[in-house]
Amino acid sequence: MMMDDDALDRALAALPLDGPPADLQQRILARTVYAPRAAFRGWELWFIAIAAALIGWLGWLVLSAPHAQERVADALARLIAVSGLDSMSTVLWLAAGVSATWWIVQLSVPDRRRRIEVR
Amino acid sequence: MGLALALEPPPVAPAPVEDQALIAATLAGNGEAFGELVGRYQRAVYHLAARTLRDATEAEDATQEAFFKAYRALHSFRPGAKFSTWIFTICYRLCCDRLARRKRLSGDELPDRADPGAGPALLAERNDEARRLRAAIDLLPEKYRTVITLYHLQGKQYDEIASVLNLPLGTVKTHLFRAKEQLRKALTT
Repeated sequence: MMMDDDALDRALAALPLDGPPADLQQRILARTVYAPRAAFRGWELWFIAIAAALIGWLGWLVLSAPHAQERVADALARLIAVSGLDSMSTVLWLAAGVSATWWIVQLSVPDRRRRIEVR
Repeated sequence: MGLALALEPPPVAPAPVEDQALIAATLAGNGEAFGELVGRYQRAVYHLAARTLRDATEAEDATQEAFFKAYRALHSFRPGAKFSTWIFTICYRLCCDRLARRKRLSGDELPDRADPGAGPALLAERNDEARRLRAAIDLLPEKYRTVITLYHLQGKQYDEIASVLNLPLGTVKTHLFRAKEQLRKALTT
């Protein structure tokens, strides 16, 4: 005897679903919400890779040019002369400034408003 | 006191949280909300994958991948859409990719029609109605098998089925009609 449409619908509705493995939910969550965060995002990796490639390419251009070493040394010497770094007093003042800045950054000044609230 | 006790409403179970609220909570960084979504739909998604692929291991992988993709693309989920339809769509596309890969690797054609040789013998061995029905569904061609599986999962929401399969509504109805016809024939023997 041919099964009618309603009987087939009832049989389909009563059909139990295939049971997934017991640990499937845990595996899904381990891959999604509990997955360790990547150190860099995709675009950050692209940015770093492109920047590294550009720096490498520029470095290669500079170093492969004729008399590159002399030119680089000459440019560095001119830079030092222009900035005054060849003078001992300039270097000393610069070192003093850098160390003072570093010490100021390390200091922790108590918050005045907070002190008043505590009283 | 007694009256107050008598009038006290019986404890009511808290209403289930809507899928939309769970999605919003997940996007806000609540991992447990996504766990709740997975708990709600993993069985249905696995069932769809298992019926479509007819391979338990591949179905597991496809289910994992479907939820992984859904999690990654959750920000693009359209408010107002049904999460079930969305996750079924992702799962079905993954299953189609796997079937296509399987076809490429084996060089075999996808089974486009029922296997006439294995059917009656296989069905004869299975007396239980559910097992017979399951076996009959397994023997359906892939397109009918998926339609009948989604009909089983989503009921008479033909537009949702059409959306998952990316087919016109009329085609879904035709596939469903033919699938049911083949099932009835298989179960009548």
